[in-house]
Amino acid sequence: MAFSTTLYNTFFRRNSVFVSTIFVGAFTFGIGFDTAVTSFYDKWNKGKQWKDIRHKYVEAAEE
Amino acid sequence: MAFNGLKKAVTLTPSVRTLPSGVPAAPLLNLAARAPADPHAHGHGASGPRSDVTPKWVGGVSRTSSGLVSKSFVTLPSTTPFTARFIHTSVAVKSAPDVPDFSHYRANDTDSNRALSYFMVGSLGLVTASVAKSTVTEFLKTMSASADVLALAKVEVDLASIPEGKNVVIKWRGKPVFIRHRTQAEIDEAREFKWQSLRDPESDEQRVKKPEWLIMLGVCTHLGCVPIGESGDYGGWFCPCHGSHYDISGRARKGPAPLNLEIPEYDFNDAEGKVIIG
Amino acid sequence: MLSRQALRKAASPLLRQKSIPLAVRNASTSSSSTAFQSFLNSRLTLASVSLLTAGSVAWYTHLYGSLPFLAEVHASHASDEGLHPPKYPWPQDGLLDTFDHASIRRGYQVYREVCAACHSLDRIAWRNLVGVSHTVDEIKAMAEEIEYTDGPNDEGEMFQRPGKLADYMPAPYPNEEAARAGNAGALPPDLSLIVKARHGGADYIFSLLTGYVDPPAGVEIRDGMNYNPFFPGGAIGMARVLFDGLVEYEDGTPATTSQMAKDVVTFLHWAAEPEHDERKKSGLKAVILLSAMTVISLYVKRFKWTPIKNRKIFYDPPVDKTH
Repeated sequence: MAFSTTLYNTFFRRNSVFVSTIFVGAFTFGIGFDTAVTSFYDKWNKGKQWKDIRHKYVEAAEE
Repeated sequence: MAFNGLKKAVTLTPSVRTLPSGVPAAPLLNLAARAPADPHAHGHGASGPRSDVTPKWVGGVSRTSSGLVSKSFVTLPSTTPFTARFIHTSVAVKSAPDVPDFSHYRANDTDSNRALSYFMVGSLGLVTASVAKSTVTEFLKTMSASADVLALAKVEVDLASIPEGKNVVIKWRGKPVFIRHRTQAEIDEAREFKWQSLRDPESDEQRVKKPEWLIMLGVCTHLGCVPIGESGDYGGWFCPCHGSHYDISGRARKGPAPLNLEIPEYDFNDAEGKVIIG
Repeated sequence: MLSRQALRKAASPLLRQKSIPLAVRNASTSSSSTAFQSFLNSRLTLASVSLLTAGSVAWYTHLYGSLPFLAEVHASHASDEGLHPPKYPWPQDGLLDTFDHASIRRGYQVYREVCAACHSLDRIAWRNLVGVSHTVDEIKAMAEEIEYTDGPNDEGEMFQRPGKLADYMPAPYPNEEAARAGNAGALPPDLSLIVKARHGGADYIFSLLTGYVDPPAGVEIRDGMNYNPFFPGGAIGMARVLFDGLVEYEDGTPATTSQMAKDVVTFLHWAAEPEHDERKKSGLKAVILLSAMTVISLYVKRFKWTPIKNRKIFYDPPVDKTH
């Protein structure tokens, strides 16, 4: 059976399954998208943000 | 040649003309059509041209105001197809309709096409739901307390500076907070009392986190006055406005107060000997 | 279809007739047509010369900001508006670039040790620095060094207490009059939003801090005023304050004048836009999500319209049975 047919039978055939897939997908997508954008943003600004230089001062305070 | 072409384009073949017999002919109009039979008419309703009366264009006898007039058309005015009568301009059908070919638009594989369409519709719903969710959350965030209010919402109090058996009143979010360092005798008194019969039944264990520290909002639950400490009939607090008496656990014992004095949220910081209210 | 063809057929001889004179040489008085003359008369020459002229004017306007040949008259001298600051490559310039937080930390040190003597920073509280340039413990320690007036207490009197995270940065002067009196009548502006409040922003403030020079010949500066070409009017009450080695950075960065100016401007830029880093991140997310939505919407629109656009409508004429 082709992939598209499987996909259709699994998710799209019943409207209830379709709609709940969308909502669950939206939730996971929100988390995943946030994580992806944040990791890209942190990589892009490596060494500039507070979280990158924080360790210097926290250790200094503890010693 | 060109003129004829132009004339052809503008001049339409007549769709209604008069036959040499005088009968108007409309090739696309079915004159024989009859209205559907009306069951409620009981045979009285007109269901088409009457067959017993000749049409006016035939001529014959007719009654006018000046009496009976008889007309007979000897020479019928005839129209040839070339004397155009521009009754309407719809083009007469000349050939089979020229319909464009749409086969280019048809999908080769309906299964994958269907799956893709549903997938795209679903993706649009997914992204829209995600965007709508974050829009709503961000909007709701604007309704919560702002950062400068939250920064003032916590108060730290150094407990070491409060001796046993003393009250301290501090301000927290604009309201007074009573902090009582209770003696062992006061704790025993508060614990032994039968609290089940009170108006607002609460045990002392429910009202304190550490028995020697009683921390509560200093606002009378009746009408919001500030009670006076170490007074009243029960050795606790007394509200001067309407005479409510609270005991050493802050419970309403006498007077109009409906509830015990409210307990705010607080936490002990044992390492630094502080209490953080809020 | 048919009628259009017919019309075209009918109209074409007319057009053909009209187009004949166009091919004929016109407005030429001499019959000797050389190659040079045909070059002068050609439309290509006319078009390219026009294009060259328009392009030159546009290029000049873009380069110098004004139309050529049209002299502008100003009531004021150009120096009244101050020298335009050059564009500096700030670490936060890019669409996705955050502030350099180590620079904010150094800039806070410069502000505290140098600028805070005259300039307030009203809109920044101690808590704002937490998680931006300092740790909570560092900020608490710094805040506690400063006494704040609080109250009234039970006796109705104001009292002094050490600062807390929720307190705002202390001002050097109690009020505007005191600030003016202490600075020969000039009011040191509050620095909370100074980067947003000045034309040129961070570039302007950096240029101003590093741009103190001797006044050129012919420019007279009153006593107590200083010459700075970047300041509108040229005469500024504030004297040059940043000199090499004025502060000692804890991270060992050499404290040159420009380094200190860069750090303090970064700090002030952060103070004016504390939401800056988060804003750019949200912007990135919004652009990605909204463009994805646009593309998918276009697909779905096409999808929904397909059956409507593909619909065939046939006219099936009734058969004439009578004639």
